[in-house]
Amino acid sequence: MSDSEEHHFESKADAGASKTYPQQAGTIRKNGYIVIKNRPCKVVEVSTSKTGKHGHAKCHFVAIDIFTAKKLEDIVPSSHNCDVPHVNRTEYQLIDISEDGFVSLLTENGNTKDDLRLPTDDNLLSQIKDGFGEGKDLVVTVMSAMGEEQICALKDIGPK
Amino acid sequence: MAGAGGGGVRDMDALEGVRSIVLKPSESLDEGRFTRIAGADFNDAGLGLPGLLASLATTGFQASNLGDAVDVVNQMLDWRLSHEKPREDCDEAELDPTYRESVKCKIFLGFTSNLVSSGIRDVVRFLVQHHMVDVIVTTAGGIEEDLIKCLAPTYRGEFSLPGTLLRSKGLNRIGNLLVPNDNYCKFENWIMPLFDQMLQEQSTENVWTPSKVIACLGKEINDESSYLYWAYKNNIPVYCPALTDGSLGDMLFCHAVRNPGLIIDIVQDIRLMNGEAIHATPRKTGIIVLGGGLPKHHICNANMFRNGADYAVYINTAQEFDGSDSGAQPDEAVSWGKIKGSAKPVKVHCDATIAFPLIVAATFARKFHGAKQAN
Repeated sequence: MSDSEEHHFESKADAGASKTYPQQAGTIRKNGYIVIKNRPCKVVEVSTSKTGKHGHAKCHFVAIDIFTAKKLEDIVPSSHNCDVPHVNRTEYQLIDISEDGFVSLLTENGNTKDDLRLPTDDNLLSQIKDGFGEGKDLVVTVMSAMGEEQICALKDIGPK
Repeated sequence: MAGAGGGGVRDMDALEGVRSIVLKPSESLDEGRFTRIAGADFNDAGLGLPGLLASLATTGFQASNLGDAVDVVNQMLDWRLSHEKPREDCDEAELDPTYRESVKCKIFLGFTSNLVSSGIRDVVRFLVQHHMVDVIVTTAGGIEEDLIKCLAPTYRGEFSLPGTLLRSKGLNRIGNLLVPNDNYCKFENWIMPLFDQMLQEQSTENVWTPSKVIACLGKEINDESSYLYWAYKNNIPVYCPALTDGSLGDMLFCHAVRNPGLIIDIVQDIRLMNGEAIHATPRKTGIIVLGGGLPKHHICNANMFRNGADYAVYINTAQEFDGSDSGAQPDEAVSWGKIKGSAKPVKVHCDATIAFPLIVAATFARKFHGAKQAN
């Protein structure tokens, strides 16, 4: 039933390798990803100014931290390279919710993943708790980037 | 026949009336009090630059104002405390004749950024290199254009070059001067690491001010063609309260986004700037301002705090009918207490790139080279 394009499982140890790759600032577009102040972000606004009294041509980015939703901005010469985060999405079946706010997830290979907290987003949090409480079959999407992971979406796969 | 004759008589009467109005008998002018108008005599093979300069005062119009400005600047340079009666409240040390002979007029020099874009930068450097002025006030462009010229040259263009054509070629026009975009790229590459360094050195006790930043940049550029280098070396303060109003501001903006936290405190600088005038006593103060706007007002305003400057020379082309400070005549500054009522200030209505080199030739340079020849 899963239609996720990404099935790759990364352990904590693996997550440290190749967190980012370089990309020229001038080629990063709206809805793309960028690292600002060491945070993985999604670009929501980009404008470019040509070479002039301010020096080299520059790209002005406004972006949202994909984990905290905090807004960040940066100005980069358009010919310079920026760091771009690898962002992965993986789906897991929700097995259990512990009293201290962690979830148990069933991985593709039949093991459990128990190191993830419930999301801080109120709406998503209540959907997960209510759905689980009602005994629904739930699949969560986990977003990972630069060594961090977070539940970012929920699907009710329901009985067949 | 009788009627015709009568008309003739009346016509002659009218003509006589007109003559008495148009050609009113004049008083004789005392040549002791009125200077005879005479221009440069190029028949004199030995006229030379000194002769040409000397002829300005008697030529009339703005040439005469230029001649007057030369006189005022020479008065600034010639004044000594020993020329004055001792103040009743002065202390013992101030009565020493050797000390009194060593106390000179304090000279404030102000100029707008276009003059640093032009070759007047090199005239300013001469004055700063040989410590012939004491305080400098300029605009942001007056700072950055000096530094940029150490990295890449400015070229002569034409006033009429079309903006769209220049934009397509990456060239910026300042009047009939051209500055390539690449000059600003070099400036960016040079200055960004310095801002990083300044941010690192910054602390609660050591907050940057425009004048400290400028001294730091003068030190770092380390180029003898730069007047800011010589200002740093000779400890001549350079004030620029509007440091953000130029490429420097563009660079500060980009730096503040990438690496926030740099503080440049203008309040400390206004204490120092106005203190330059307040604490000048027992020296007299002299003002030389090229252009108008911020440098003119900032210098005049500081001198207001000492009840006015003793000498003043303005050089710009602005007019007063729009009420602008740039166009204001020196007498308007007298009304504000920025120039003393006893002063004889001069405004030269002339492009400073023409007037200032002539003034310097007849004043600072003559004294500098004259002294050398004497040795």
